[in-house]
Amino acid sequence: MSVRALWIISQEKGENVTIRFSRRFSTVEHRAKSLAGSSYVAVPDESTFLQLLLTELGLSDPSKPYVAARDDCLYRPRSPALELCVDGPGKGALWPVLTISQGPLILACVPLVNAPPEPRPPLSSLLSVSQGLTLLAGIQTFLLGPGSKPDNEGLVARLGMMPSVLLQVCPLGTPLDVPLTGAPSSPAVPTSTGTQKQPAWKTGLHRGRAAVNVALVETVRTMQYGNQSRQDLWDVFGTVTCKCEVEGVLPNVTVTLSLPPNGSPLQDILVHPCVTSLDSSILTASSVDNYDGSSFSGPYKFPFSPPLEPFRLCSYTSQVPVPPILGSYQLKEEENQLRVSVALKLHESVKNSFEYCDAHLPFFNRAQMGVVDVKVSSGQLDVSKEKNLLVWALGQKFPKSREVTMEGKIVFSGPTPGPSDPLCTQLTAYIKLYFKVPDMTLSGCCVDQHSVQVYSSAKPRIVTSRELQSKEYFIWNSTGTAPVSSGQMML
Amino acid sequence: MTLNWTERIAAFSLSPSRFLSGTTAEAFLAELLRELRDDRASYSLKVLLLAPLCEHPTLLCLSDSVGEETALELMSVMAQCPPKSLQFRCQLLVAITCVLVCSSCAGARSQASLDFLSLLLETAGDPGELPGDGGQQRLRAGACACLRELEACCPGLLSPRLELLDGLRQRETSRLHQALAGVQSLALRNAVHQLGRETGAGAEELKALLGGNASDSWEEERGPATLTALTPGPTGSLPTLHTGPDCKELRSVLASLLEDSYLLTPPCQAALLLTLTEVVAMVPAVPPAIFRAQLLRLLGTSQVCLLHSTLLLKASFTDSLFGGEDEDFLLRRLLVLSQHPLLSPPDQLFYMDCILHFPENRPLSGGEGEEAPPVALTPRLAAALLPTLLNDGHTLLARVKLLALLYLEEGEGGGPEGGPEGGQEGGGGPAHLYQLLASLLDVAEAGGGGRETVVTSFRAAFLFLLYFGHVRRFSGRLTARLCRLYMRRPQLAPHLINLADRVQERTPAPDWTPELLRAVQRAVTEAPLARLTLADFSRHLQVLARVAEEGGVCQQPTLAFLARVVTPSSSSLCGGGGWRLGAAVLAVCRRLLVHPDLDSLLAPLSHTLRHLAGHYGDTDVQDHARLYHALLTTVSRQKLAGVLAAGAAEDRRQLKQRSLSCLVAESEELTSALTVHRLEESVCRLTEAGAEPGEAGADQGEAGADQGEAGADQGGGGEAAGARQASPSEAEAALDAYRAQFREPDFSSHITLRYTLTHTEAPPPGFDRLYSIRLHFGLTDQHYEALGDVSVPRLFRGRPPPAVRLRLRPRRPGATTLLASALFTAQDGRTWHAALPPLPVAFQQSFLPLPAPGGWGPARRLALFRGLWGDMSAPGGGGALSLFCCPLTGAALSALVDKHLARFLVSDPSHADESKAAIFLPPKSHVLLRIRPERDASHFDIATDNWELLPPLNSYLLTITSSQEGGGS
Repeated sequence: MSVRALWIISQEKGENVTIRFSRRFSTVEHRAKSLAGSSYVAVPDESTFLQLLLTELGLSDPSKPYVAARDDCLYRPRSPALELCVDGPGKGALWPVLTISQGPLILACVPLVNAPPEPRPPLSSLLSVSQGLTLLAGIQTFLLGPGSKPDNEGLVARLGMMPSVLLQVCPLGTPLDVPLTGAPSSPAVPTSTGTQKQPAWKTGLHRGRAAVNVALVETVRTMQYGNQSRQDLWDVFGTVTCKCEVEGVLPNVTVTLSLPPNGSPLQDILVHPCVTSLDSSILTASSVDNYDGSSFSGPYKFPFSPPLEPFRLCSYTSQVPVPPILGSYQLKEEENQLRVSVALKLHESVKNSFEYCDAHLPFFNRAQMGVVDVKVSSGQLDVSKEKNLLVWALGQKFPKSREVTMEGKIVFSGPTPGPSDPLCTQLTAYIKLYFKVPDMTLSGCCVDQHSVQVYSSAKPRIVTSRELQSKEYFIWNSTGTAPVSSGQMML
Repeated sequence: MTLNWTERIAAFSLSPSRFLSGTTAEAFLAELLRELRDDRASYSLKVLLLAPLCEHPTLLCLSDSVGEETALELMSVMAQCPPKSLQFRCQLLVAITCVLVCSSCAGARSQASLDFLSLLLETAGDPGELPGDGGQQRLRAGACACLRELEACCPGLLSPRLELLDGLRQRETSRLHQALAGVQSLALRNAVHQLGRETGAGAEELKALLGGNASDSWEEERGPATLTALTPGPTGSLPTLHTGPDCKELRSVLASLLEDSYLLTPPCQAALLLTLTEVVAMVPAVPPAIFRAQLLRLLGTSQVCLLHSTLLLKASFTDSLFGGEDEDFLLRRLLVLSQHPLLSPPDQLFYMDCILHFPENRPLSGGEGEEAPPVALTPRLAAALLPTLLNDGHTLLARVKLLALLYLEEGEGGGPEGGPEGGQEGGGGPAHLYQLLASLLDVAEAGGGGRETVVTSFRAAFLFLLYFGHVRRFSGRLTARLCRLYMRRPQLAPHLINLADRVQERTPAPDWTPELLRAVQRAVTEAPLARLTLADFSRHLQVLARVAEEGGVCQQPTLAFLARVVTPSSSSLCGGGGWRLGAAVLAVCRRLLVHPDLDSLLAPLSHTLRHLAGHYGDTDVQDHARLYHALLTTVSRQKLAGVLAAGAAEDRRQLKQRSLSCLVAESEELTSALTVHRLEESVCRLTEAGAEPGEAGADQGEAGADQGEAGADQGGGGEAAGARQASPSEAEAALDAYRAQFREPDFSSHITLRYTLTHTEAPPPGFDRLYSIRLHFGLTDQHYEALGDVSVPRLFRGRPPPAVRLRLRPRRPGATTLLASALFTAQDGRTWHAALPPLPVAFQQSFLPLPAPGGWGPARRLALFRGLWGDMSAPGGGGALSLFCCPLTGAALSALVDKHLARFLVSDPSHADESKAAIFLPPKSHVLLRIRPERDASHFDIATDNWELLPPLNSYLLTITSSQEGGGS
């Protein structure tokens, strides 16, 4: 349940790789040594470790097309636990090395194998692995912030805080918590009087006006092919985020999600650890099979005692019959130009009131756009400054017909080649939709303001909201080969 | 100064060994401690100074005693530190823990570690002066973390303090209860474990332990436990503590810990659950149902470590805690989680690993740690994990593997075929996977994907072949696909070769590799040359070199291709004549040289090599081609294979294939194989062979034959009678006829010496079997003409030694010493050169009987003897006469003559008491002896045509007569 060492590495596409922070936990290493006996492999020094790690991650020698150690086709489960051949191939290997990476950061740690080293125990038998993953994810969130936008100055400052952060969350290699991402906004009093025990995940007590904010966000993803032989796919998942400012050491709050009368049940419900108990019927519906033991369709009650900071109370997935916007996209190559034809139709069940709705038509692996002769029936069309992307801003509303079209020709005659993409070659191309519809969900799921119960002396102010947003909303050109394989796409 | 320290500490962490090579551990430690005591240094700096002690205490404290002293030093720093410098004090506790644990002081329960333990317990239990003092709480939490680590490293250390810890935790209402729960649960687990290993321990001991009555004698009775002894092994290796049904105390402690578990952070909660799982697993009296209350919130959790600890609970208690429905639910949950959009790829992959090691209540396969999908997982359920091109590489591969295992388990591997490639395939999991692989290869072929896509495609191909390589309809199609991919993107040659190698080594479908290589060979060699670029050509050569390693693949197309390419008329590719390209062509040729079908390739290969040697634009390549050609035409097949295959071990082949300078490496190897190695010691020697009766006649050549005929003549009485009246004129005629023979230049000009070749007594090991031995002889003077080499096919220890005949051609008669050496191949296939002991040739070894013409009877021989004698004794004839006397008479003299001079005797019936011997010494010298006894001595009258022979002759006669005297008396 401990980690032997921890590294924070920054990189830019395999270049300028540096270890920005590292920590070795000598007592855990001491344990590793006596547990592993003769098969003990020490953690190598920084530069060796870095080199081996980059090779294993496929990031070393970016300029060389083939490096045997890096590109060997022999399949080893490389993630989440890597194996670093510290003493050369076939000899002692450092295992498991957990890594997660996001943006410019690679985080790595080596969990302690608290079991006889031979035969190598499965990852799933080592609690230190999931502990390590949790620790790394926590540090990543702390360093990059919730927006995950790398901001260099902030990163440097937070890296500077790492020693004191680790002293609190993992002083001797055994993770106790994850770093707090930000100070709670309300004044917190760290004291606890009385007999009730304060949760360890609560840094203090809220004092002041009580308020509960519950935000429900549904996200829709889709792959539309416009092709008889390919089934269009879409899925919806929702998350409920809460921010509760309630007095008391362990106040009780209950949030209830409810569905419209004919709504399909919420599936795959995952809850925050602060949820105190769950009715088992809430958990039964699963997206991996249509088996539904009960016809349970709510209400979904989540009793919990809130932490101070905002948190994700629960998430779910839902099966909805249609995607909110159906699209068709057709490209035709004509001599030096590309004929474009697009139609988008908003489903009648969807509220025609967007916060925004943009369609992006990127063109990869071609020269830059020269002449763009394209008409749209509604909205506004822009060519990006890099001349490889059409941005069609549909604004807040679809027209009454709920249908918009785009027709025209594009000549790719720019002087420099545009960006490249692994999948989008030739006529393989897509439209990606970005939209947000406030105050609606596709599943019909909602949090009624009155259903939020707070057992506390003061009457809190309760705010609830819901919205629908898109993510990975793809409409593929039906005249090209879409990069798909059969079966379900996602959930 | 501060800046300096920052840099130094950073340099130390970067590479402690390099840093310490510039100073000593003692000096650096002393500096650190001095600075830590320095009041002027800021506490933020001091925190930094503790880093080396925390991270690498063993490098700084080289012995336990230094560790002990350092810990004491740090504790005194702690004592003098003002309470407000909180972070420093916390870090100091951590540093002391690290020093004590890593220097084994804690394990040995040294005084310092006991003092430190008291300090920690005191700190952990001290609520501070102000209630809710945040600083004090942090310090206490730090102390608890140190206590927990000490207990983890030295199990049993806190066993006597269980009651104290339980009391502290129960009373604590601040967040600190989490830290105390961590210490307490671990100490409890270790204590129960230790009791479980004791025979006879039971409820009483457990009760005493929990009640705090075991305090003082606990450790003395048991001694410190070792860490490894407390490690849970594979399932079931935890000891069992039999307590009887009643163990209220333990139950109440467990219940209380579990009740508060909700209040812990997820990592601590997961750790607590696992620790308590182990406790309950060791004490059968406590039912696993004690965890049930926690399960509902745990089963729905979004936290990876909490769900993991739930799975570990299931692995421990199986159906005593989780029914069949729970199992189904957990499996579905894992399937959902391993592709949940809100989870990060590492978490998803971890869950996938959990599916492959799912703790089933009733597992079918008993294999511990073996990867197998659970029985309840059906392809329909797993459809959620069907990979897509949009997955990242790791996820895609992990899914391919999981599904492949599942389909194999379900017997879908060889199931009915789906539709044609590219179309919508109905059913058949492997067909789905194949389709994905095909799409992936399409992406790689289109070239947009970059290296990552390429690597992922080839890994997916390997995985697919690993599981479905035996299914012809897939493997055949995959071959064609890869072939097309390669022809479109020849830069993928190394990937293709790597795949071919790996499939051959690792998968149950090794036949696939030759099939692929044959297909690629066909594609490469049949493609029009006109469109071939130089870069692609060199990649094709890489591939063809790999193809040439395949014994089962016909190499004619490769050679035809090479022939077309190296001939300038049909292609301009080799016109430039770069070294690199030439080397690549040669690399193919080199592999063909050891190909099992070399016999059928001789002509075209030799043609290509000759062409390269003659026309290629690079001298080095020409040289190599010439070398290969020479090897091909002169070295035997076996030897060639031995020479070229030497050292072609697996890893080196990898190296050579990739290495640009493969020829250089190869030259070195060839050098080793083809060079003659010098051996300092002698391995074999020549021993003079005794005259074997069977061989004697043949070996003595003309002389022997003459003698035989002489014997036959003796039967002819008429001539024998005539010999008695041999007249001077007859003598002269005989002499003339005899001398006439010498007009032929090579007449009787050599002597033959016989030897056997044997091992020396103690040759170095590895030389018991020698082959192709070539003996070479050198001269030490001018007496003989140079000798030719002599070949001996083999010399095996324990077999009869081979005979060696040397034909010496003297320039003038005389003794000499020959230098001998041998060149041979040893068992290891290498060629060696070793000197043989020098070979003395004695004066008498050059003696031959008179080479009188064939058909001469004794009479004519006698006439010749007389003629020669007369000639030599004539004044001014250039001859010399001499007399040798020795005391031998009678039988002794006869014995001497029989023994040494029998070959040379000329019978003279008229002088029965006198023996005449005529000795010929090639090339043209003669020695004649008339031996007759006189009173008490024998006289040897000597005539010779070469007076220089007299001294050696004299010493020879001395030797034989004196030895005869010794023998006679």
